[in-house]
Amino acid sequence: MARLAYQERLENLREDVLYMGEIVGERLRKGLDALEQKDARLAEEVIEGDGEINRMYLDLEQDCIDLLALQQPVAGDLRFIAASFKIITDLERIADLATNLGGYAMEAEKDVFPDVDIQRLGETTLDMLEQSMNAYSSEDAEHCHDIADSDDDLDAMCEAASELVVRDLLESDPLDEDTNAESVMREVSRLLLTIRDIERVGDHTVNIAARTLYMIENNDELLY
Amino acid sequence: MSQENMTTSDPETTNTESDQLIDTDPGRGGLDESSGRGSVTSANTVIEARNVNVWYNDDQALNDIDMRIPKKQVTAMIGPSGCGKSTFLRCINRMNDLVDAARIEGELLFNGKNVYDSDVDPVALRRRIGMVFQHPNPFPKSIYDNVAYGLRLQGKTDNMDQRVEDALKSAALWDEVKDRLDESGTDLSGGQQQRLCIARAIAPDPEVLLMDEPASALDPVATSQVEDLIADLAEEYTVVIVTHNMQQAARISDKTAVFLTGGELVEFDDTQKIFENPESQRVEDYITGKFG
Repeated sequence: MARLAYQERLENLREDVLYMGEIVGERLRKGLDALEQKDARLAEEVIEGDGEINRMYLDLEQDCIDLLALQQPVAGDLRFIAASFKIITDLERIADLATNLGGYAMEAEKDVFPDVDIQRLGETTLDMLEQSMNAYSSEDAEHCHDIADSDDDLDAMCEAASELVVRDLLESDPLDEDTNAESVMREVSRLLLTIRDIERVGDHTVNIAARTLYMIENNDELLY
Repeated sequence: MSQENMTTSDPETTNTESDQLIDTDPGRGGLDESSGRGSVTSANTVIEARNVNVWYNDDQALNDIDMRIPKKQVTAMIGPSGCGKSTFLRCINRMNDLVDAARIEGELLFNGKNVYDSDVDPVALRRRIGMVFQHPNPFPKSIYDNVAYGLRLQGKTDNMDQRVEDALKSAALWDEVKDRLDESGTDLSGGQQQRLCIARAIAPDPEVLLMDEPASALDPVATSQVEDLIADLAEEYTVVIVTHNMQQAARISDKTAVFLTGGELVEFDDTQKIFENPESQRVEDYITGKFG
């Protein structure tokens, strides 16, 4: 094996991206817990932790740029670095969405539509994130396709949840005389935004899977 | 170089370009012009190797090479030292004829004509397939005479000034030397000397330019100038370049051939394919530096 220092830097990049994936997964978990428990302290922890993720992202971006500029990688190495460069962007965006969940948790006052199972949607995205990072780690192309399939299910679940909110809003008439209409509308908006952000987390995990598939097989079929 | 088992080209088809390889000058032996025939290869192929094997005494330097080099593109040949890439380059214009221990089998077609056919004049062949070497080797003559030399050998003495100017312009050297054409070529910088050698090689208007590590002895600025020049030359000529610098191959070539130990051509494909997603794991290991 030649170019040992270079190979070591590639391995370090892989480990650092996986570590970032773990941290982002933890933040998403906490964001969902904060929502479920309406725990302001936990929500604040997620929001304040976003700076750490941003710094991690910038460090890894610089590592990728250095490798490209100084080592002139080609073939599988090039695809690995290019894929990692894109994956850290998706991880950073997932962390931003986890921060949004923290923000919604701090604003939440009550569950206006308890039938909407936000935690189930969130658990699905957490599972997709874990699977996509496992596919990246173990270079498992088959897993990448599974994640794309899971996202189709998630999209359907999110669409159904949004419809449920709208239908309940129309049917239950929460805007009767005893209700603070402004407060209800704020809660409904928050709930719809929560569903949308969770759906976007799913999209980012598919991006990770798509870049991983490109990395493994030079296959771009999952990209858009 | 001896030529054993060199097969004869297909006599059923003609190729007027290959006729020019036949030396009809009685002063150089007067080969039979009527035998200037050769098989027609695909329209885009200018050089084709078919089962080419080369030995230096008992050591095999090239192993069953099959390859089609496309017209007016840059084809790079890369591989570790001793893999046979320079041997292959030198086979194309029969430079290995000068090596007594070398022996070749198979066919090497230039525009469909086997360059090792007995009626091919190597000197005529080298007018059509010019060569630039690793170290600039201008003659100890004026800049003008360096370029004019090959033209005079060919008897192309009309419009000499214009021909010299055109060659120097094509080699991106004219602006730097137009006011000192009578100065010695050896007084130029290394990069300028190499471009002078390129001007000398293209002055007789060859069809193919072979380059054996043409920038390896140059500094980064001169290397960039030669690389830019190679891209420009490919608009008029077919360029085949041997380089140890893989990034250079990636930068300047359209096609890349990867030779590995034992004189084996392991992969030949579009340069982008080779450097982004090679088929062969051995090629991947070599170009990513895991080889060895």
